[in-house]
Amino acid sequence: MNEPLLQLRDLRVWFPIGQGLFRAKRHLRAVDGIDLQVAPGEALGIVGESGCGKSTLARAILRLVRTSGGQVLWLGRPIEGWSTARVRPLRRDMQIVFQDPLASLDPRMTVGEIVAEPLRVHARELSRAERRERVIDMLGRVGLPADVVNRYPHEFSGGQCQRIGIARAMVLRPKLLVCDEPVSALDVSIQAQIVNLLQDLKRDFGMTILFVSHNLAVVRRLCDRVLVLYLGKPMELASTDLLYSQPRHPYTKGLLAAVPVPDPDLQPQRLGGALGGELPSPLAPPSGCVFRTRCAHAVAGCATTAPKLQSVGSGHEVACDLWREIKTSRETP
Amino acid sequence: MSQSEAPIALDIDQLSVVFDTPDGSLSAVNDFSLAIRRGECVGVVGESGAGKSQSFLAVMGLLAANARVSGQARLGTEPLIDRDVAELNRFRGVKLSMIFQDPMTSLTPHMTVGEQIAESIIHHLGSSAEAARARALALLEQVQVTDAPRRLDQYPHELSGGMRQRVMIAIALACDPEVLIADEPTTALDVTIQAQILSLLATLKRERGMAMALITHDLGVVAGIADRVAVMYAGRVVELGTVHEVLKAPKHPYTAALLASMPRIDDSGTGPLPAIGGQPPNPRRLPAGCAFGPRCAKADALCRTDRPPLVGPGPGEGTRSVACHHPLQGTHHSREM
Repeated sequence: MNEPLLQLRDLRVWFPIGQGLFRAKRHLRAVDGIDLQVAPGEALGIVGESGCGKSTLARAILRLVRTSGGQVLWLGRPIEGWSTARVRPLRRDMQIVFQDPLASLDPRMTVGEIVAEPLRVHARELSRAERRERVIDMLGRVGLPADVVNRYPHEFSGGQCQRIGIARAMVLRPKLLVCDEPVSALDVSIQAQIVNLLQDLKRDFGMTILFVSHNLAVVRRLCDRVLVLYLGKPMELASTDLLYSQPRHPYTKGLLAAVPVPDPDLQPQRLGGALGGELPSPLAPPSGCVFRTRCAHAVAGCATTAPKLQSVGSGHEVACDLWREIKTSRETP
Repeated sequence: MSQSEAPIALDIDQLSVVFDTPDGSLSAVNDFSLAIRRGECVGVVGESGAGKSQSFLAVMGLLAANARVSGQARLGTEPLIDRDVAELNRFRGVKLSMIFQDPMTSLTPHMTVGEQIAESIIHHLGSSAEAARARALALLEQVQVTDAPRRLDQYPHELSGGMRQRVMIAIALACDPEVLIADEPTTALDVTIQAQILSLLATLKRERGMAMALITHDLGVVAGIADRVAVMYAGRVVELGTVHEVLKAPKHPYTAALLASMPRIDDSGTGPLPAIGGQPPNPRRLPAGCAFGPRCAKADALCRTDRPPLVGPGPGEGTRSVACHHPLQGTHHSREM
């Protein structure tokens, strides 16, 4: 394996809450102990229910939220504690695409200005003409004609706005592209267009993608590896093939079983096997294994020790001490 | 199927909705006809702007003031279109209930859960406060709200999204409706909670024999609990049939393309998805002929000039109707597991 582009070591993001004069300081552990290596050119999916810490993890990597502990290593160098000015050159290599395509574009800027802005900040050596050329080239790559540069975001549909957002993120040719639910706000027929576009860009530019999504079907299509989070902790990490064909963690199995498939012969039965219960309050996470309150396999020991990610072979890791016993009860998604 | 003999609970007949706007009129729904029988769930599927919500808001009498509705909808024998509000309120929330996508904004923030459920019971059934509260508790238990007695005195903001949607369903069920319209009831929820709510709706439909319209953009949601499905595009039904007919062997190219473009959890393919090119048409500038024509691989000169009518099945052809000049034949749509 090449040198990892990105490494996380026991990364934590804890938000202080409810601090008062007479109240003890408490923390919401949004991200709690993530170890991860991401190779250049890899597409890593980050999945889990709302509130499991997917977006916070992605933003912590980009230093859009402050980390509380652990390390982020970029090309082997720890960037913790770096000043904003020192991090800025790195931002050229790490860009993000947001969920809401229209809200993430400044309504007062033309499409040309929006896509040129990263170049104005990070590539000041470029002349106006060079900048314009790069903008139009990038717009072409995302499937938009050159004449959109003088138009405003409100003139475009959701799918087109997302293309503009992707062009803005890609115009610097970043090494890392973070996509935070990039297709969730789009109609089904437009989702497929954007998924295909991201696949094409990945093939052409070879950038690393961190793909945050609750849509497990889209993640299967697009990603090489998948990290499953629950209450800020890693539950399972595996290649996409293994995660979807041989999920080991009961949470992963429950998530996969809940995704509807448009087949009336399969779907009614799948509905019966859905995971019960809801995400517990992240302010009062269960002791031991955080998933145990919803787990059909939980035993007394699950309440005392928090399982660590352990290898089950072929780079497949699972945070469940009972994975051997429950692997026979595998559900086929 | 015994459902085909059950009495029709909601009969929508050639419903059309036009909005008058400063930029001219906008046709949102055209000639929408659908009969839903007791104990039957019909999925109404389409993308944003296809007219699926507007059709049922028209049925409920909840459209914006600039809407003009023609056609008719009947609840049993009672007409629902062009009735005045006082008359409509004899049915709405009683025999005809609706739940919406966003369970946060649909609940009143300053009333407790118990008060909101009881309100409908007291108003429509004239129950005493105590009787209404007891019924509210029973309803919460029926929609599987955990710790129901405590929830009665909680406010909506104290509940999770899934719990709020269960409360919405409890309110909708308060007066034992004959027809439940569910407008994207699970779109705002996580997949795990979505599966819970859908199996709850399936159970309620079965146990109460309600007629249900399930409006959704997700064909997977339809596959799980609907008996029949209507696919809408640009304000019209383009295909209507049993879920098996429509999802296993779609005849309309739009239905087939929509199914093919969906990434599936049980599909290990990694190549490009067969996306539908272009975008749904602007309702102010619908193309002549078939509205899907500009995005359809099979479209020809006829499709560009003549709009295909929704044609019912011939003798022995099952129950499916399709609006296409060149319907797909016998393509059994399935993907490798």
